Amino acid sequence: MGFLRSSDKAADGGEKSKWVVDLQQLEKTYYAGACSVQALKPVDIQIPYGIFCAIMGPSGSGKSTLLNLLGLLDQPSGGHYILNGQDVSRLGDNTLSEIRCTQIGMVFQSFNLFPHFTIQENVCVPMRYAGFSEKKMQQRAADLLNRVGLGDRLKHKPTQLSGGQCQRVAIARALANDPPVILADEPTGNLDEKTGNEILNLFHELRDSGRTIIMVTHNPEYENVVERTIVLHDGYITRDISNPKSRPSVTSEACTESHIP
Amino acid sequence: MNLIRTVELSIWDLASHAFRSFLTGLGVVFGVGAVVAMMAVSEGASREALRQIEARGIDNIVIRSVRPSTDQSTENASTWNAASYGVTLDDMRHIRHDFDNVRSIVPVRRLRMSVYNKGKRSDIQVFATIPEFLQLSNSRVADPRGRFITDSDGENAVKACAIGIRAARTLFGFNDPLGQNVNIDGKYYHIVGLFENPFGSQMMGGYDLDNVIITHIEAANTLHGKMSTERKAGSFERVIVEADFLYIRVGDQEQIENTAGRLRTYLEKTHPQNDYEVQVPYELLKQREASQRISTIVMASIAAISLLVGGIGIMNIMMANIYERTKEIGTRRAVGAKKRDILTQFLVEAVVLTSLGGVLGVGLGVGLAEIVAIYAKMETVVTPISVIVSFGVSVCVGVIFGTYPAWKAANLDPITALRTE
Ligand SMILES: Nc1ncnc2c1ncn2[C@@H]1O[C@H](COP(=O)(O)OP(=O)(O)OP(=O)(O)O)[C@@H](O)[C@H]1O
Ligand SMILES: [Mg+2]
Repeated sequence: MGFLRSSDKAADGGEKSKWVVDLQQLEKTYYAGACSVQALKPVDIQIPYGIFCAIMGPSGSGKSTLLNLLGLLDQPSGGHYILNGQDVSRLGDNTLSEIRCTQIGMVFQSFNLFPHFTIQENVCVPMRYAGFSEKKMQQRAADLLNRVGLGDRLKHKPTQLSGGQCQRVAIARALANDPPVILADEPTGNLDEKTGNEILNLFHELRDSGRTIIMVTHNPEYENVVERTIVLHDGYITRDISNPKSRPSVTSEACTESHIP
Repeated sequence: MNLIRTVELSIWDLASHAFRSFLTGLGVVFGVGAVVAMMAVSEGASREALRQIEARGIDNIVIRSVRPSTDQSTENASTWNAASYGVTLDDMRHIRHDFDNVRSIVPVRRLRMSVYNKGKRSDIQVFATIPEFLQLSNSRVADPRGRFITDSDGENAVKACAIGIRAARTLFGFNDPLGQNVNIDGKYYHIVGLFENPFGSQMMGGYDLDNVIITHIEAANTLHGKMSTERKAGSFERVIVEADFLYIRVGDQEQIENTAGRLRTYLEKTHPQNDYEVQVPYELLKQREASQRISTIVMASIAAISLLVGGIGIMNIMMANIYERTKEIGTRRAVGAKKRDILTQFLVEAVVLTSLGGVLGVGLGVGLAEIVAIYAKMETVVTPISVIVSFGVSVCVGVIFGTYPAWKAANLDPITALRTE
């Protein structure tokens, strides 16, 4: 049953969009007193279901800005963002929280686990906000941790784990509510090369089970292992290349049929 | 998110910083402890006062004869001229006749005579009064074979007396006192009955009713005359006091203050030398209640201040707590927490903290009250209402002082919060 993807989360009714993420002239300007910084110039990006996509660019080019917009942590200054068929560019805080909870999984550079909780409790947190029953939630957390290879350490605290293991916990937590999109801001930034590659492999498995992974990275080598690379420069897209040599992407129709061993 | 689970998680979280949480809640612990202990002490004091007042009879007015302080001439007249002061039997008859609110009036004269026990003077006092005294003082005949004094004792000047159970024990031990004689100032009185006061009332200047001998006032006047000889530190002094006390029972409690006022007016006219005192237990009760109100207000203010300090402590620590956990808050928001969820989490945490502080504080207060009771020999009473109120207040302190920090936490910008280390 792979990564426990139970259903595809496209909006009900109408024909299903081809894109899980559809940005139309999306832009972001920061205002700090009199001066303003247009961190993201109006961009159009369409990302289909089930691909592994990297965002690259030099420091200050707007990668995190873009990822925060995608993660609904920040509001765009203009344009539209259609996530999984729903326009989410101008919604209230409560609705945004609900969409963050169920449609998006977040993975951070420094893991952002809750240090006083066991890793099982950590994975439970998003499910609590989604209103799972206690029993179902604990069961699913155990299954997910098992899937990322930490099934024997459910009661451990994050401080008892290595960085790579912590990031696995964070990924399990991102999968808790079975979102179609995983957003990761430099997820391997705090890890050595080998551990980083393991995390990358994990993302590939997720991609293979039909999820879309959008990852900000500084590592140019990763360009070869993702299907698509978007390069930003001063808020502009300077390069947007697909890499067919990478593992074949899964079509949106195939989303429900995961085939992870 | 489910509230019970939130409470559970917050207890868990507080437990993971047990010592810090304890220090945080300490203000509330001491505040609540102080409130519970103070209320226990005050309740104990007011019950004690009430008991004393009730022992004197709440529906009574007592007129007490007092030696006028200005009466220098009689003081100097040394042993031969008797000092005469106080209310008289004429006053009694007048009051009984003219005051229609007065249901009964009972004179009591302290005979200032010695009771001899096997040739030795005892400290037992002899009082002369009338039969109604038994009922008025809420006493009763302790031995069905005997009786209290009767009016015929007075008319016939019989040397008969009734004896309190403690006095009987002192004088006769375990022998039957009934029918025995007792030596009062050289005269042998026949003991006709035994009485007791089940309330342990103290009347008549602090003498325990169970430890006195009572005879009829008319008989005493006939047999001994109106003059008494008081022994004072080896010297003798003659006094004429017809009645040391007049106990007045008013028909209707509503009439007490009114009747007392009329009595005062009457006595002011007839006793210009001011050799009396009117005591109204009911007025004492009223005064007591008034002073109780003041001390309650004072204590409530002290309690409010200590809880305020406790609350500010809670708020301070909650703010520090939120500052420390900014990244956690950002992460929670990123994985789907609504503002409301964050608000609930921190508010619940504050309330759980102050509630636990409240529980510990109640324990501390009960302990303090116990210590006061043991070491200060004061009665202290921890009432359920004081426990409920102070616990309720500690919960409110959590809500009041936890709301702002929780609101602050809920409204943190998720990106800024996530960026914090
Ligand atoms: N809250 C903010 N207020 C003002 N300017 C901001 C804010 N956040 C980002 N910026 C600006 O927007 C631009 C893009 O920043 P962003 O964090 O997206 O860069 P980045 O590509 O993620 O860089 P890095 O690789 O260093 O993480 C920068 O010039 C930055 O100074
Ligand atoms: Mg960045």
